[in-house]
Amino acid sequence: MPPPAASSRYPSPSQPSGKSEVTDLKSQLRQLAGSRAPGVDDSKRDLFKKVISYMTIGIDVSSVFGEMVMCSATSDIVLKKMCYLYVGNYAKGNPDLSLLTINFLQRDCKDEDPMIRGLALRSLCSLRVPNLVEYLLGPLGSGLKDNNSYVRTIAVTGVLKLYHISASTCIDAEFPATLKSLMLHDSDAQVVANCLAALQEIWSLEASHSEEACREKESLLSKPLIYYFLNRIKEFNEWAQCLILELAVKYVPSDSNDIFDIMNLLEDRLQHANGAVVLATVKVFLQLTLSMTDVHQQVYERIKSPLLTLVSSGSPEQSYAILSHLHLLVVRAPFIFASDYKHFYCQYNEPSYVKKLKLEMLTAIANESNTYEIVTELCEYAANVDIEIARESIRAVGKIALQQYDVNAIVDRLLQFLEMEKDYVTAETLVLVKDLLRKHPQWSHDCISVVGGISSKNIQEPKAKAALIWMLGEYAQDMSDAPYILENLIENWEEEHSAEVRLHLLTAAMKCFFKRAPETQKALGIALAAGIADFHQDVHDRALFYYRVLQYDVHVAERVVSPPQQAVSAFADTQSSEIKDRIFDEFNSLSVIYQKPSYIFTDKEHRGPFEFSDELGSTSITPEVSSDIVPAQQFEANDKDLLLSTDEKDDNKGLSSNNGSAYTAPYESSNISSQMQELAISGPAASATTTQSSFDFDDLLGLGLSTAPAPTPSPPLLKLNARAALDPRAFQQKWRQLPISLSQEYSVNPQGIAALTVPQSLIKHMQSHSIHCIASGGQSPNFKFFFFAQKEAEPLDYLTECIINSSSAKAQIKVKADEQSTSQAFATVFETALSKFGMP
Amino acid sequence: MPVAASAIYFLNLRGDVLINRTYRDDVGGNMVDAFRTHIMQTKELGNCPVRQIGGCSFVYMRISNVYIVIVASSNANVACGFKFVVEAVALFKSYFGGAFDEDAIRNNFVLIYELLDEIMDFGYPQNLSPEILKLYITQEGVRSPFSSKPKDKPVPNATLQVTGAVGWRREGLSYKKNEVFLDIVESVNLLMSSKGNVLRCDVTGKVLMKCFLSGMPDLKLGLNDKIGLEKESEMKSRPAKSGKTIELDDVTFHQCVNLTRFNSEKTVSFVPPDGEFELMKYRITEGVNLPFRVLPTINELGRTRMEVNVKVKSVFGAKMFALGVVVKIPVPKQTAKTNFQVTTGRAKYNPSIDCLVWKIRKFPGQTESTLSAEIELISTMGEKKSWTRPPIQMEFQVPMFTASGLRVRFLKVWEKSGYNTVEWVRYITKAGSYEIRC
Repeated sequence: MPPPAASSRYPSPSQPSGKSEVTDLKSQLRQLAGSRAPGVDDSKRDLFKKVISYMTIGIDVSSVFGEMVMCSATSDIVLKKMCYLYVGNYAKGNPDLSLLTINFLQRDCKDEDPMIRGLALRSLCSLRVPNLVEYLLGPLGSGLKDNNSYVRTIAVTGVLKLYHISASTCIDAEFPATLKSLMLHDSDAQVVANCLAALQEIWSLEASHSEEACREKESLLSKPLIYYFLNRIKEFNEWAQCLILELAVKYVPSDSNDIFDIMNLLEDRLQHANGAVVLATVKVFLQLTLSMTDVHQQVYERIKSPLLTLVSSGSPEQSYAILSHLHLLVVRAPFIFASDYKHFYCQYNEPSYVKKLKLEMLTAIANESNTYEIVTELCEYAANVDIEIARESIRAVGKIALQQYDVNAIVDRLLQFLEMEKDYVTAETLVLVKDLLRKHPQWSHDCISVVGGISSKNIQEPKAKAALIWMLGEYAQDMSDAPYILENLIENWEEEHSAEVRLHLLTAAMKCFFKRAPETQKALGIALAAGIADFHQDVHDRALFYYRVLQYDVHVAERVVSPPQQAVSAFADTQSSEIKDRIFDEFNSLSVIYQKPSYIFTDKEHRGPFEFSDELGSTSITPEVSSDIVPAQQFEANDKDLLLSTDEKDDNKGLSSNNGSAYTAPYESSNISSQMQELAISGPAASATTTQSSFDFDDLLGLGLSTAPAPTPSPPLLKLNARAALDPRAFQQKWRQLPISLSQEYSVNPQGIAALTVPQSLIKHMQSHSIHCIASGGQSPNFKFFFFAQKEAEPLDYLTECIINSSSAKAQIKVKADEQSTSQAFATVFETALSKFGMP
Repeated sequence: MPVAASAIYFLNLRGDVLINRTYRDDVGGNMVDAFRTHIMQTKELGNCPVRQIGGCSFVYMRISNVYIVIVASSNANVACGFKFVVEAVALFKSYFGGAFDEDAIRNNFVLIYELLDEIMDFGYPQNLSPEILKLYITQEGVRSPFSSKPKDKPVPNATLQVTGAVGWRREGLSYKKNEVFLDIVESVNLLMSSKGNVLRCDVTGKVLMKCFLSGMPDLKLGLNDKIGLEKESEMKSRPAKSGKTIELDDVTFHQCVNLTRFNSEKTVSFVPPDGEFELMKYRITEGVNLPFRVLPTINELGRTRMEVNVKVKSVFGAKMFALGVVVKIPVPKQTAKTNFQVTTGRAKYNPSIDCLVWKIRKFPGQTESTLSAEIELISTMGEKKSWTRPPIQMEFQVPMFTASGLRVRFLKVWEKSGYNTVEWVRYITKAGSYEIRC
């Protein structure tokens, strides 16, 4: 076959050109259409090929539709195929023209050659033009009864296609019933497999509104049917086997004999060359034995080796898919894989996505027996050329250290990393040392001496810098020059871009101040002043809070900011066990790869009647990698530590002293009080900029500060227009334009959750509160609603997105409003309305 | 795949669509643009072969200079998706005669369209067996197995072949000379520490066959293996077999192998497809005979000089020899000048991969060979960072040697016409990822 014309060889898809070529083609085709000269088929073939090649590279050749159809009256099967291809591609855009093709496609469906019958039927069903469905029924019906299995396989899929074009037509013609009998009685395995695929899809889509379909869907999982498939599984090709295995996963066995029967039937599938079949079998085994703990363990032992083989054979992409699943299993049952750790050693040339997964596995399976080898291996990777992998491996070492195996040796290793004098290695290690110290404070002595030698100038990364600063504050008494390093850092406050670092600087300066007041006093003053003037809300708030606490009572301040350290026993897990179980249930799917349950990433399907296209526009925000989330959460946990300790202060009534002069400090009291006065210079400026959130802090402490502003007046009650109207298009447009003015989470009462089984009831309920639903969707446990409301007497709209998770009984709302200032008031109305949901 | 694919795209490295097939309407046509802008034009490309953008998942693979992208809007089965791509490429290759690349696609686009229609319908994989597809889609164009076949073949049989029980072999084949070629190809993966400890070592092997046999032959293959736990009890009741037995960690078979018979009788019996195919794959971790030992010593003498000494020992039988031995010895980026002596073969400094490449065409067993080199480095200003040494990598092929010790005990062919066959058996061991840290 000749390549496409040289001119169109490397086209730029953005500028489809070739208008003149298309007109040219058109006239040539027209000439050939009526010709019956010998050899005309060959020239037609060339022309058709040209048309198809234009179509492929994105030039619009729909204008030759008529000519193509005219030329299609031929017995040449190559021409027919190309013509079908062309028609299938353009029919959807030209429903009127497609009517022209119906005739010849229908005729071909009755051809004596089964191949042509099949091809024509497939093309007919692929036209996807709703108003042509009536022409499909006849050919489909006879296709299903065709004596040739090739035609029947195509007809079965055709029924599914018809269902997607027009569900009602498909159901009315009782095609599903025909498929069911074909599935049970046809002699051809591929026909049976396609029937199964089609019926599964049709019935699960129908099940939501038809009880009968629901029953039919259940009947697919009946014992006789499952055994019918499993006994014949060898007759099916590998892809159909996957389909059957996926069905078997959903089967609920009646007793343990049933379970063993199925496992015996499927055992040899684990030796299949197709990894997808093996993985599907693994899923069946795992799901069947969930209730039988002993057998479940044995299953792990049994499937280990086939999976490890799959990892080491095939392309890196395939290994990646298998490794992701192994990772899930490793996390669930680390001890089973503990002796196989060598399989997860990285090869030098592997792609980094494979390496990353392997590192995670090594971390997961480290225990008393293999920690030494694993950590030794990980240390090799720390010197890797690929910086990302080097970082990951250092993190892995740190995670293993936090698991408390062989901490002693690991601390040594970590400290050696610091001596490697590579910026990124040092940065990662610092973060780890910080976490390690929070969990095992007893190692502080060894670590601090090394950390003290690190120059803060060499550390640029915010996380590492924050970690170093944390250590400077926490262990100020052990590091001789801590106050001076801090002072240096504080002097460069303006150049510090990361808010996280600035927050840590404030805290560290405070901690240092309590331990070595004379040396830190000046630095703390500068830090507080700079902090209060900071444009970042959190930094500002924290600085102001510190300032006030200090002003109130230095003693209290010390107990708030620098309480006796308690070792953190466990770091917050990023994923709840519920989510992990859900991912496990969705074994052998994308969920495992993304490490998210499917409802999170297929949510689009559960969206209401219309779809927000800005979703697509903002796709550059790729889903966050989970590794990014971990440090953020640790940081948050750190913050909570502080807040928690402030809570405890409530029962400690220090109210008798309302200013800084009445305390008795255990050390150099006069000295500190004079410093306090110096600190007070920034006082007035501070109180002027008091904001609502700092006032929360004050409340927490029960302080009656005179400088505190009056509490923000409660928002006036908002009246909503009960008869507001907004059409979906306008809603969509507004939703895209307006910024989110408020986003909150409420809990929903249990009655509300119970009533949510019928989502419509919430819509009605909200309507009675003048909040109207414009779109809703979702399946248990996640429901999504879009509401809107209008202010009484003013054309001001409130748009709300509300996601209710029925398992956690939480509702997340996002409000967008024409008038930002009243959005809080609206949210209050919304919350009140929501809280009454389900109440009689 | 149980959850259907919505579309498949073939893109070149610039992101131009070479060919595409949309099977379902649930993804928009602009999805490929999303792939281009959010995956191809960012660093993400090498990061992960499965990505999600705007509610659609992209499962992609690069094969030579082509990206093959499967788009799915639902929670698809990834392993199945990748396997489908791999199988489809194998199929295309069998049509194009070897190469699969951008040019091959451009030259065969009509054929690919035809194949894409047959191998997947509405997102569900159908039949990808080249044997069957070649019945009605040939390189010369399209041939219908139903109409243009010689009259003496009854039509119902043909339909059975397409989807029936022996889907991988067609009836009525006939060869003048009946021959079977069997290759055992093993690749050894090794990771050795700088102290000479084996950190990780395994062998992945393949049994490749080429059958030119008439009719419907039944083949039986016997190996000196000892199959896992399920057979152990049975083994004990029998008298001990002579010779060495190999313990395979895991085996997978081509779909033609009767697995029930394998489990009960421990023999590999099958009706082979015509032509070339991969009969089985296996993996071994215990008792691997490493064909080569590498003993490196690298001394960094100050900032600007290095001494490298690598000794390679062949530890297989003296009558055998290895071919195409390549040892890649890493050197720092700032290498200025290299000076080396080798006892055999030729060595060269290749600056583009920062390696000394030492090639030995023929390496007899039970011998050793050394390379000693002096390397001068450019002294860089303030470069304190020490050089992180990548591992030494090795390539080789050793014919008539199996690192696992696996041997064919017998290969029997039965056919009802009782013809004689000629069987050829070859062994070869190649280096997989053979890495020695230094």
